Amino acid sequence: MKLLFNIGVSHRTAPIDVRERLWLSEEEVRTALPKLRASFFKECVVLSTCNRTELYGVPNGETPGVDSLRKFFSDFKGDNSYVRSEHFYLHEDREAARQLFRVASGIDSMMLGDVQVLGQVKAAYLLAEECRTLGLLSTKLFQAALHTGKRVRSETKISEGAISISFGAVELAGKIFADLHTKTVLLIGAGKTSELTVKHLRSKGIRDILVSNRTRGKAEELVQRFGGKVVDFQNLRDEVHIADIVISSVESPSYTLTANDLSYVMKQRGSQPLFLIDIGVPRNIDPESNKIENVFLHDIDTLQVIVDKNLVKRSGELPKVERIIAEELERFLQWQHTLQANPTIEGLRSMAEKIRQQEVHKHQNRFRPEERENLDVLTKRIVNKLLHGPISSLRYGLGDQDDETRSLILAVRKLFGLAHRENPISENVGGDDRNPDGGS
Amino acid sequence: MKPFLEITAYVLPILYFVTVWLYARGFFSDERLADRLKTPFLGVTLLLHLLYFIIRTNSLHHPPITSIFELMSVLAFSIAVAYFYLETRTSVRGTGYFILNLSFFFQLLSSLFIRNELDVKPVLRSNWLGFHVTSALLGYAAIAISAVYGFLYLMLYHEIKASRFGVIYKKLPSLEVLEGLSFRATLFGFTLLTIAMILGVLWLPQAFENYSYLDSKLIGTLLIWLLYGGGLLAKRIAGWKGRKMMILSLSAFGLALFSLSIINIFFSEFHTFY
Repeated sequence: MKLLFNIGVSHRTAPIDVRERLWLSEEEVRTALPKLRASFFKECVVLSTCNRTELYGVPNGETPGVDSLRKFFSDFKGDNSYVRSEHFYLHEDREAARQLFRVASGIDSMMLGDVQVLGQVKAAYLLAEECRTLGLLSTKLFQAALHTGKRVRSETKISEGAISISFGAVELAGKIFADLHTKTVLLIGAGKTSELTVKHLRSKGIRDILVSNRTRGKAEELVQRFGGKVVDFQNLRDEVHIADIVISSVESPSYTLTANDLSYVMKQRGSQPLFLIDIGVPRNIDPESNKIENVFLHDIDTLQVIVDKNLVKRSGELPKVERIIAEELERFLQWQHTLQANPTIEGLRSMAEKIRQQEVHKHQNRFRPEERENLDVLTKRIVNKLLHGPISSLRYGLGDQDDETRSLILAVRKLFGLAHRENPISENVGGDDRNPDGGS
Repeated sequence: MKPFLEITAYVLPILYFVTVWLYARGFFSDERLADRLKTPFLGVTLLLHLLYFIIRTNSLHHPPITSIFELMSVLAFSIAVAYFYLETRTSVRGTGYFILNLSFFFQLLSSLFIRNELDVKPVLRSNWLGFHVTSALLGYAAIAISAVYGFLYLMLYHEIKASRFGVIYKKLPSLEVLEGLSFRATLFGFTLLTIAMILGVLWLPQAFENYSYLDSKLIGTLLIWLLYGGGLLAKRIAGWKGRKMMILSLSAFGLALFSLSIINIFFSEFHTFY
């Protein structure tokens, strides 16, 4: 039987429509957790984001199969005819822990170095805590994963640099202007990327937003969403000079802004730097404009250069991240193995102490009363010395494989004639007792 | 104290070199250790440099302004102190490599040729001269820093225009910040040069009998002053911005460097005390 178990679907194994079908809202997780616990697990946590739905658990008895869990989700979500067994991945024990550490570090995300996922892991953990489906092992597992995620964030640059066109544009704006609070952005036309860019710019402090659209109604609709003012599309040439950043995505066969227009605009601006982001296909702004002094024109292709460079840099951080994960995994497994050995260590100690007391009691009349204290000390010392080897091996000398640990524990129990148990290892792991020393 | 002066003269360029190296590692290779050590190391270098000046002034009985190589050491120190101040006040942590190279260069020249002489001409023991030289040197340090930021501005400007986005793009602060730093340094330098020139012109008749206001050094300095003054006016009145201003700042600095070295050594008639 395995101690730790992970099953899930993510962007690596399943297409978006499958992930959507398996996505669980917070409310649904709240309902699912107790049910999962009743049928399969002693402890369980569900992590559901737009790119993955995963379950981490400590099985009740036999490890549950993919089919039974798939059936559970089918029944739970209603129709699940799209979801097939091969969409799921399975991890056990060490690999299950590694999977969670990788997820929390942001290296299993669709966007390498994703910063949001750590918060989502924490939310999943808190939700399970609230639903009382956590136990000793899962608590420690999630705390270790959160710690790993934080270390990765602070010790590596896996989350540095923009890796989307819209963030790339914002990053570039920050290299031209010192303070975005005092700048004005003009949005010409509309589209997903340009709207995202405005959104990011606003979160960086831009307050003044102007919107222009061939259809005035559309511009007004955008203004309602973003705030700001509508600028007349016909008079664009005379209005551009107010803006420090222009984002253009218009579907038009000819240039919306020509190099001449921009020379005129720059005169009006007194040569103040102007950052133009051309997201239109075909391009909206004459590429020749980039030759005008203090005009910085960038289109999707040049912004993609930023994204690509940042992606390469992030990938370069992967070995560091993997190293941190390996270290933290080692520490977690060490803790887990010690935990597994604890009942045996206790059994060993009490058996030896019982024998010692019996023998001392039996023979103490042979000693003078003033020597009895010494007898006690001496026998205790002998017992401790004899047990020191086996106990140290159990505590620190365990291999990193669960099977190794188990056979060592069983061997010790057999050698010292400790009571045979069906499963001497897992009795201390899982269940209701929350870890008293698990705080980290 | 002579041995201390001699040893320190060797040690200072080495310390500046290590400082520059640490800043380079931090800037180009992103090394965390170098990033952490660079500022404290610069601090230690500056302290030793200051100690060197104090002991030098005490044991030679004159401030370190009596030879061109003493002046270069003061210039190296002024540039490094000004940068140290900027680093603690603004977001320019990365740019030390470019500025401190100047300090290393001037200190190296100074250390190679400096002599620890007790006898200096009486004219160089004047307080007027002290103020004149101090303000001129601080002024030069400021315009040197202004030129470096101007240079960095141009590098970043072209990197953004050409969509290269390399290490310069990644590590430098924004164009607006670089322009602001360069401008403030110019303003500071221009003010100090003005003070130095006024002091010089007033003091000249007292110090020399056969002086001339047409000395090539004086004319060179006036040209530099006019160039910076003109640039500041162009910014204020004509609204010159960005690239144009930076090119102007760099050209003026080139001329200043020429004046300080070539004219001083080969052409100046009376302004050669050294």
